[in-house]
Amino acid sequence: MEDIETLVGRGREAIDFIVDADSFEENTVGALTFDDPEFGPGAVCGTATLNGATVTVIANDAMAMNEKFPVVYGGIIGMEEGYKMAKSVYASITADADKDLADKRAIVLVVDTPGNGPGKVEEIFGMNKSTGAYQLALAEARLKGHPIVAMVIGRAISGAFLCHGLQADHILSLDANFGTMIHVMPLTSISRIIRKDLETLQALSTGNPVFAAGPRFFYELGGVQELVTEISGMRDCITKHIAEIRTAKAEGREDDLGPWGRGKLGKERGGRVVRDEVMALMNEQFAAVADQYTAS
Amino acid sequence: MALNQLNFSIENASPTVALGEAFHLGVVGSGDLEMIIESKEQGGAVSFQILSPVTGFDDLWKRVADAFVRESGLGNAHIEINDNNATPAVVMLRLRQALAEATAR
Amino acid sequence: MTKWTDLQSASFLESNARDRALGLVDEGSFTEFCGPMDRRPSPHLGVLGDAVEYDDGVVTGVGRIGETPVFVISQEGRFIGGAVGEVHGAKIVNTVRLAIEMLDAMVAKNPDTPEAHKPIVVFSFETGGVRLHEANAGLLAHAEFMDQVQKARGKVPVIAVIGSKVGCFGGMGFVAAAMDAIVMSEFGRLGLTGPEVIEQEMGREEFDSSDRGLVFRTTGAKHKYIMGDCNFLVKDSVAAFRAQIADLAVLPIADFEAMRRIGSEAAVDKQLALVALAVELQPKDSLDVWAHAGNEAPAELNDAPYEEFIAKAQRLAV
Repeated sequence: MEDIETLVGRGREAIDFIVDADSFEENTVGALTFDDPEFGPGAVCGTATLNGATVTVIANDAMAMNEKFPVVYGGIIGMEEGYKMAKSVYASITADADKDLADKRAIVLVVDTPGNGPGKVEEIFGMNKSTGAYQLALAEARLKGHPIVAMVIGRAISGAFLCHGLQADHILSLDANFGTMIHVMPLTSISRIIRKDLETLQALSTGNPVFAAGPRFFYELGGVQELVTEISGMRDCITKHIAEIRTAKAEGREDDLGPWGRGKLGKERGGRVVRDEVMALMNEQFAAVADQYTAS
Repeated sequence: MALNQLNFSIENASPTVALGEAFHLGVVGSGDLEMIIESKEQGGAVSFQILSPVTGFDDLWKRVADAFVRESGLGNAHIEINDNNATPAVVMLRLRQALAEATAR
Repeated sequence: MTKWTDLQSASFLESNARDRALGLVDEGSFTEFCGPMDRRPSPHLGVLGDAVEYDDGVVTGVGRIGETPVFVISQEGRFIGGAVGEVHGAKIVNTVRLAIEMLDAMVAKNPDTPEAHKPIVVFSFETGGVRLHEANAGLLAHAEFMDQVQKARGKVPVIAVIGSKVGCFGGMGFVAAAMDAIVMSEFGRLGLTGPEVIEQEMGREEFDSSDRGLVFRTTGAKHKYIMGDCNFLVKDSVAAFRAQIADLAVLPIADFEAMRRIGSEAAVDKQLALVALAVELQPKDSLDVWAHAGNEAPAELNDAPYEEFIAKAQRLAV
């Protein structure tokens, strides 16, 4: 394990580093099974145990290609993939519907995806619905008490990261020296599109993480909870965060988790401070007029 | 690289037009601008604060502002402009519109 | 400022974001939050030497339609394409948050609060998604917004309105899809991937991004209406959008669940049937799907004026 330099493109191997040995059963989540091997092959969905506890695992398979949708390869989330992932989340919710909060299975997202399906058929039929459906399913599971941890092992790019990762309770990332990428666009492309020279952007990014690429900048913004510095450390780190999330949920601290919690963290870490000021101003302004809008 | 900020005042010893409440107008689209125009007691002068991505046209801004103050008779006012490459003609047009709206209120 | 009565007959497409917001709610009822007078421009644009706007390209506030409090979000496409940065993002997210808090407070005080007195959220989209100048903050705001949409479920209806020049693309394309109801004018466009990227990915023979007609047929409102991806198609006037929202404002929250295209396992199963149809049809053009839906002369239907289109269009059975 020590000589592995990167897990980019190796989502299936990453699962084995995380869950209990030989425990991963693909294509089964609760009562749900995926029987067609050609259905959404870019998404790996299944059930494993982590320290003996049942977890749902959802990962990207960068080696798969969806024969029916030629733009879906290399870890791209296509229409089938997004809905397959959403179904796996709903199946997790259903399987634990009657369980206590403490016993709701965790959902582990293994993240290595460069984008959403960018094709014509995708636009005609609505790729936006597929990625949206998965996000709503994750948000629902999170709000119903399932701890959700996203583990970035490779590429976490823009809309695909929104889809697969950014609805988690906590987001962890292998550090940048493992080749992990978190960004909307590389700085070189941003430089071209907004017409600012690269050197200037690079210089500015050292003091301001809002447009720079990489896990460390996302850490400062509160977008990544913790950086993991060893591949062998992923398992314990995920376990630790599942426990922290369970505690927060048990104490009703939903606002410390998920996207809203990352907003708070961004303020604490100093990377996103204006967000909070703007919200505070709006709250004050609404409080001053709220009565006028409440019918008696 | 930062935005170019320009602050100056146009004196007006005998203003003939005064403002009511502060007024906002415009959208910072390409070739356009937004402005806030509000009354400010300062011995007749109209003060300007301009933020623009364009540099090197400070004198032009002052000439447009001066022409506007002379033409309108406005005094004791503060005008803030967020510009995005508006031409002098567009700047003049927006100033006139803002004044017409602000005095009509 | 245009008078409210004049705004009603104005084109929604041609109006600016603030006029749209003012015109969608009752005359004189709009209170803006974090408006231009509050002077909260993006702190990230100025350092790059780019123009700033005091409202950061989005109008947020609360107004009223009849007795219903209406929280409004209205994006301005002329300012950096309506893109979402840190301030813009905070404003849109917190508007939904305020609506949910208002509902919670109302219901805590009076569990029998009439439906018409409960708040709704209306979001007029004009955006390509994340603002690259502050990309990371914009991205994180998208996730926050999706979270609020889910938190609003069963409490506050969140309604998408798309009738602007820029349309609704990028991450905001799935934000809109995740809402309870979608109202579009025929000039509205909704999608995820912009035409240039599709061309780059598939080749010009498959998708020519300079073909305006093709671009419109692929993501335009008429297509979205036939697909069931927009619930209501209205004429291009502020009054027409307003009338549709007024109809929705008084509905019980449960009624919105049926309008959703995603957000439950049952909805996902229906969408999967559509994906199977995509595989079966292999459409070269959206009009192939229109024909499958039972529209015998899809090209003519595509050119038909609003009234004729509404009268004739066969929507895909989902």
